[in-house]
Parts: sequence; C-alpha cells; structure tokens
Amino acid sequence: MISSLHRILIIARNTLTEAVRQKVLNVLLIFGLVLICSSVTVSQLATPDIDAAGLFSEQIKFVKDFGCGAIGLFGFFIALLSTALLIPQELDKRTIYTILAKPVRRAEFLLGKFVGVVLLLALSVALMSLAFAATLYWQESVGLAAVEANYAQMDLKHTPTAQSMHDHDAAQIIKQVRDPQLVEAVLLIFAKIVMTAAIGLLISTFATSWIFTIITTFMIYLIGHGESLARTFWLSHGAETTIWQSGLIGLIALLIPDMNSFTIVDEILAGNRVPWHDVLNLLCYANVYVIVLLAVSVVIFDYREI
Amino acid sequence: MNGLPLNLRLRRAMLIALLLGLWAPVKIVWEQQIAREQDNLRYHGLVMNRQMRDELGQGLTIGILSGMRSVVADFIWLEVTTAWENQEWFRMGGLVNLCTSLQPRAPVFWDMGGWQLAWNASVGAERDVTQPNELRRLKAARFWIDKGLDVYKRGIENNPEYWRLWSDTGLLYQQRLKDYKNAAYYYQRASELPNAPVYLERFPAIMYGLAGDDQGAYEAWRALWEKLTPAQREMKEHWKEKIESNIRRLEQKLSVPKEKRVFPN
Repeated sequence: MISSLHRILIIARNTLTEAVRQKVLNVLLIFGLVLICSSVTVSQLATPDIDAAGLFSEQIKFVKDFGCGAIGLFGFFIALLSTALLIPQELDKRTIYTILAKPVRRAEFLLGKFVGVVLLLALSVALMSLAFAATLYWQESVGLAAVEANYAQMDLKHTPTAQSMHDHDAAQIIKQVRDPQLVEAVLLIFAKIVMTAAIGLLISTFATSWIFTIITTFMIYLIGHGESLARTFWLSHGAETTIWQSGLIGLIALLIPDMNSFTIVDEILAGNRVPWHDVLNLLCYANVYVIVLLAVSVVIFDYREI
Repeated sequence: MNGLPLNLRLRRAMLIALLLGLWAPVKIVWEQQIAREQDNLRYHGLVMNRQMRDELGQGLTIGILSGMRSVVADFIWLEVTTAWENQEWFRMGGLVNLCTSLQPRAPVFWDMGGWQLAWNASVGAERDVTQPNELRRLKAARFWIDKGLDVYKRGIENNPEYWRLWSDTGLLYQQRLKDYKNAAYYYQRASELPNAPVYLERFPAIMYGLAGDDQGAYEAWRALWEKLTPAQREMKEHWKEKIESNIRRLEQKLSVPKEKRVFPN
C-alpha cells in the first residue's frame, strides 16, 4: 500500500515537473494573471467618476467577478489541456512503455498522472488567487482614499451624521474586499476545474487523439451547465416524451455532472451569504464524482491495449 | 483497443455499467438535494428564455452556458455606462433590465440601475431642449422617475435584506417625488436592516417633520429615544442632543401634558 502510494507520488511529481515546463500552460497562466490584474481597469470603465461608496460596490463587484472569472476560465483551460495531453504524449514519446514495464500498475500510473494535474491546478489557482488578493487590496486602498477625499470636501464634516457616513462607507469597502466568503468561491472554482480534469482524463483513456479529448470534455462541460434542466425535466415529464427523448435526457441526467450548482460562486461574489455547509456539500459532491470518474478511467485504461 | 478478446471487452463493459449504475441514483438524489437547498436560499434567479437569448446574442449566451453569468452581466453593465454617457435613456433602461434579470441577487445592479433611471435619465429629460414645452419635459422626467422607482422596488423584492435599496427608494421619494411619508417608511425599513448606517435611524422622524406631520415626527423621535439604551444614547453617532432637542421642541409645540413627556423639565 505504502509502496503503491510512493509510486503514485513519484509519477505525480514527474507529471507536475513536465507540466510546469510546458510553454502553453505557462502562457495560459500568464494570461490569467494579466486578466486578473487588468480587472481594475475594466471596473473603472463602468464607473468613470467615483465619489461614493455606492459606486465602489460596483467596482469591487467587477474586480471580484473578473478575478474569479479569470481563475475559473484559465484554470479550466489548463485542466483541459494538461489532461488531454497526458496519455497521448506518453504514447507519442513511448515513455509509457518504459514505465509500465516496471512494477507499476496501470491504475497507479493513471492516478499518479491525475494527482500531478491536480497539483498543477492547485499551483495555478494559488498563484492566480494571490494576484486576485493583491488586486482587491489595491482596489480597497483606492476606495478608502476616495472616501477620505469625499469626506474632506464635506461642508458639515464634524457633525455626527457626516462622521457616521464616512466611517460606514470606509467599513463597507473593507467588508466587501476582505470578505472571507471569497475563500469559499476559490475552493468551489478549484473543485469545478478538478472535476473537468477528471472528465478529461476519463476521455483520454479511450480517445485516440488529444483534439477529441478537448472537444468532448468541453462539450460535457457545457452540457453540465444545463444538466439541472435535463434532470428536472426527466424527473417531472420523462413519461410524457418518446422513449428516445426520455432516454437521451435521462442519459444526460444520469451521467453528466451538474456544473450549474457551482454558479453559487456568483452569489458569493454578489455579496450574498452562502452557508459553509452548502459549500462543503458541493465540495463533497465534486470529490465523490471525481472518485467515480477515476474508477471508470482505471477500468478503461486497465483493459486498453497499449 | 479493438483487439481485446470479446470476454475481456464484456467484462470491462460490465464493470463500467456496474460503477455507473451504482453511482447514477446517488448522483440524482444528491443533485436534487443540492438544488432544493439552493432554491431555498433563492439562488439561480435567472430564467433563460428566447427573448433573453435574442437580447444577449450568441457569444454572451455561450458565456452564460459556460458558467460566466456574472462576467456577462458585467460586460452588459459597461454598455449601461456607455448608454448613460450618450444619453440613450431607452437603451439604458433595456440594458438595466437585462443585467438585473441575469443577476437578480446582485443588489448593486438594482441600486445603480434605479439611480441611472430615476436620477440621471429623469434629470436628462428635464433638460431636454428638443421637447416643445416644460409640461412635456416634466412628463418625460416623471416617466423615468417611475421607471427607476420600479427598478428599486423590484430590487427590494429580490434582495429584501439589502439596506441601500430601501434607503435609496426613500431618497427618491424624498428628493424627487417630495412624498415624505413614503420616504419615512422606506428609511425606517432601511434603518432596521443589518449593516445599515446609524444615521438612517433619524431620517424617518425628519421626513415626518418635512411632511408637516408633527405628531408623526414626535412619535418617531420618541420611539427612537426609547429604542436606544442609556449607553447607546451617549455614543456620538446616535447624536443624543439632536434627538433630545427635537423631542423637547415637539413636546412644546404639541402641548404634550407634562406627565406624558419624555423631558418634563
């Protein structure tokens, strides 16, 4: 058991090292970081003249949306590309034969590869999250400076109302920027891209080209956002449709993961409270889904002729 | 892969079917439970229909289908700002509606959308020199005030816990419609919500005063005084002197009997 874990970790470390050296993934990461940092500029397009905390809510929302959007989008691309290239590259370079000739089980090889991708995704998300936090911090300092300037221009600045207004506006900006719920948002984004990676890995175990893997994973990701509609329809109106329609919708409901549930990230970014137990429930769902996908991948890969 | 013997292929297919067969019912039940919880918390307000798809266009629709709803809404909001700068009020109104439909639980869109319509569009209409007379300008201004008010009220329906929407509705009633009693009601509701600034607690009483309702104003000041604990009264932000002076003035003006006064002396 321990030796098996050791082998998995060695393969994971090698996968991570190889992935970090790949230019395409690094370029994606750089684009992600640039997009996160430029979110401040985009947010200023929405409100060119700032004079109140009300307008800052809008700017902070923009920075949060673009920051988390970039983490999700570029994390998705990195997950898609890294998993799609995993097995085809090993086959092309014929390194897989050398590895499997050693006492390494196919399941260990596959799990090691997946753990390597997860580590790569964790690293990418961590880097992008740091850039996101720095951007938000900068936005906070700009906001607080604007509140101070606004207060300095007030005629009745020493009245309790003016002081209360100033304190409240400053507190609101700090509260929105240092929202601990952003941790929930980043965790959910990470879980979603790990699920995408697991889907990509599953497809790459039987696909003959990486383009097929990318296109199919992307389509499943898109369909996943409509899975909740298919599921609701299948459960409530399944009997009213033809057997073919019901079969197709049922297949989507039964096999495709519900990606739409993860859009509660939008609620967090909009400033609404999302309880931790809901987030943990979704994270558990994603974990179990990944385990099932890995199990199916192992079965397919075990029987694949290489 | 195709070279696998039939028995191995069958075995593989059966194993996969077994795994998925065991997982699928659990998956459905779990997803239904997650959906129920999220519905209870009033998430997923968006209803994607054909009209919305036409308004968004293909690119933005794919953005929404990829789980980028908030980013899509933000991009549309940039268009709201452009429409405001170009004084295209009807276009701006349509875009505000689109943003609020995409993210009904994002209070900032309701808040800023209402402000854009009730203030910017209405003031723009008041200054519109292309209108033949003052009456037409006032009518157009009123049209946009009502539109903004509608946005605020729909925003409150979707986000009843967000104090700023209540407060901004109060401000609109106070400053644009001169309807001080309604303003008092909305300020009162705003002041009772979490995170509301302290100064809002004085606004209902001030509004009753502006409406000429001295009795209402007195009751509001008195209720505020009684609501505050002795320790709170000493806190600067509650502005004890202001509340006290107003109560004393109104007790005098309304000839409240000494035994019923807050400040008999």
